[in-house]
Amino acid sequence: MNRIAVALWNPIVEKEYRSRMRTWRSPAAMTVYILLLGGLGWAIFSSEASSAQNSLNPGQAAGFGQSLFLWLIIFQMVLLAFITPALTAGAISSERERQTMDLLFVTRLPPFSILWGKLLASMSFALLLLLLSVPIFSLVFLFGGIELDQLASAFLVTAVAALTLGIIGLACSTAFHRTLPATVTAYGAAFILLAGSFLYGLLFPTAIDLQNASKPVAPPAITYLSPLIPLITIGMNQSISGYGVRNGPFVGSGGYSCSSNNGGPQVCYATAANGAPIGKAFVGQPPSYPPFQQSGTSIPSGLFAGWQYWQASIVEWLVVSAIALVISALLLPPVRRLPWGRRHPSPSLLGETGSGPNA
Amino acid sequence: MIAVEGLTKIYGHRRALDAVSFEVPKGEIFGFVGPNGAGKTTTLRILAALLDPTAGRAFIDGADVVQHPDRVHDRLGYMPDFFGVYDQLTAGEYLDFYAACYRQPKLRRRKIADDLLELVGLADRRDQSVDTLSRGMKQRLCLARSLVHDPAVLLLDEPASGLDPRARVEMREILKELQQMGKTIVISSHILPELTELCTMIGIIDHGQLRATGRVQDVIRQLTAGRRLRITVLGQREEAIALLKGLASVREVDVSNGSLEAAFEGDEATAAGILQALIAGGIKVSGFTQLEGGLEAAFLKVTTEGIG
Repeated sequence: MNRIAVALWNPIVEKEYRSRMRTWRSPAAMTVYILLLGGLGWAIFSSEASSAQNSLNPGQAAGFGQSLFLWLIIFQMVLLAFITPALTAGAISSERERQTMDLLFVTRLPPFSILWGKLLASMSFALLLLLLSVPIFSLVFLFGGIELDQLASAFLVTAVAALTLGIIGLACSTAFHRTLPATVTAYGAAFILLAGSFLYGLLFPTAIDLQNASKPVAPPAITYLSPLIPLITIGMNQSISGYGVRNGPFVGSGGYSCSSNNGGPQVCYATAANGAPIGKAFVGQPPSYPPFQQSGTSIPSGLFAGWQYWQASIVEWLVVSAIALVISALLLPPVRRLPWGRRHPSPSLLGETGSGPNA
Repeated sequence: MIAVEGLTKIYGHRRALDAVSFEVPKGEIFGFVGPNGAGKTTTLRILAALLDPTAGRAFIDGADVVQHPDRVHDRLGYMPDFFGVYDQLTAGEYLDFYAACYRQPKLRRRKIADDLLELVGLADRRDQSVDTLSRGMKQRLCLARSLVHDPAVLLLDEPASGLDPRARVEMREILKELQQMGKTIVISSHILPELTELCTMIGIIDHGQLRATGRVQDVIRQLTAGRRLRITVLGQREEAIALLKGLASVREVDVSNGSLEAAFEGDEATAAGILQALIAGGIKVSGFTQLEGGLEAAFLKVTTEGIG
């Protein structure tokens, strides 16, 4: 128990808390964060209030609540994507720049404890920002349209995404000796994670094999790395319409023919020009544009079939985080003793100019 | 307490250390002297288990620096040549943080910090922010930091660099006190006169090779003793000079402050032979002294000529 407590709460965490909270930057960051988030909420509210004139009916209020929630949660994610890499990208490199790293290495703290302490201290601040935003999000419940479990899922997604960005920042900080390149790389990685994976779904959508498809298809699994996908899915309580999928090349030239079973689902199949069926029949509506999109918030096919989008995203982020953490742990120690590492140079190299002590 | 056996470090094609070997018994202060880039810091970093040697072994109190770095860190305190401090921490918090990093019990940390601040003369600065301390105070604080876990061995890389004369004296006094406490101390430094006064042992390193090592006076004597004689004669100075120049072992003779100084090649017996020759030549010798060179002379000799 004591070992776990020591591992979770090491001196680095305490020192980092103390140092961080004694500067003006932390309260300033918290204030700016709340002002930006609150400002967006107020702007949306004002805009909606002016368009609604006197009153909102329950349906309009729910729609407004959903819209407000979606904007806020996405904006919060964007804000954290800016803040988190800055929190961790200098964690290790600044110790090197300040020439305090060796002083830590000669203590009894193992390198992983140093990493963990830095990560915990940085992510605690990100968590604090998330907690500070809760009162703003509670305003959404005045309008309805959002359930508590949606809020919880969205916050969980945001927290794990921020954690992932933080760990990537930490890995950059470990890999680079200087804070500037570490920060630039961390922001690059954050951009790729946030926007790059989303763009991937637009550029390389999953093709629907209309001749053989028997159920809706999902966007490529790599797109779940973007927090936008699970957050939009949670906020709208449905998948993103028309995103990440496209019609396959072999659409029947004769269109589609459907027959309804009594009380059962409609069965459709693509047809050739002469009306002959092509490929397997599939259950559901004939594909149209936007193509064959599933409804609901679960992933219809692929690696994560049946999972919620946010669950798949969290699993992917945890995998990315684990990889980044392992890389950091390997890169950090001053003396890397990898099993495959070469401890000594060849005897020929040693023998080039070898000589003993002279006195 | 410290044993170094054939330590070699190669960076790319550059040999930073070349089969360096020496031993430092318990309770000694070992001065590590050498020009910039000679390999002092590399040696100390290997001893602190911050750098792997390419070949050779090193032990701190019996713990192999490569095989058991954790044990090494338990037993040594390390003060690098360049180091930073954390902003926003007071001197007391700074020591408390490192005491916690060395897993000292929370209840003891306050006393450890107070005792060490007292030792290094910073007791009245306990609540002062570390980044507002002077350079000398930071050096002393860093020394205190290296002592928070009461190590048996101290590795100090240029502990007096950048300090004013007063701060150097204070640092020297602290180190003497630490020696009296039984610590084994390795100091690398450029300030040779201070090392002569402070150190009990010395190692001179140049181009990665240890040129000389041993007790300070032994090394100085080995490298410089018997080379010069101060001879005072009653009158007959010209005759004495002529006689000395006629001896095969004498290289040159100068007059300095009314006395003769003779540079010669040889050992104690050669010096005795020179005295005998003077007396046999009828010179009245009233003073005959071997001039010992200092550490500086020894250092210059091995780093410019080499004795290998």
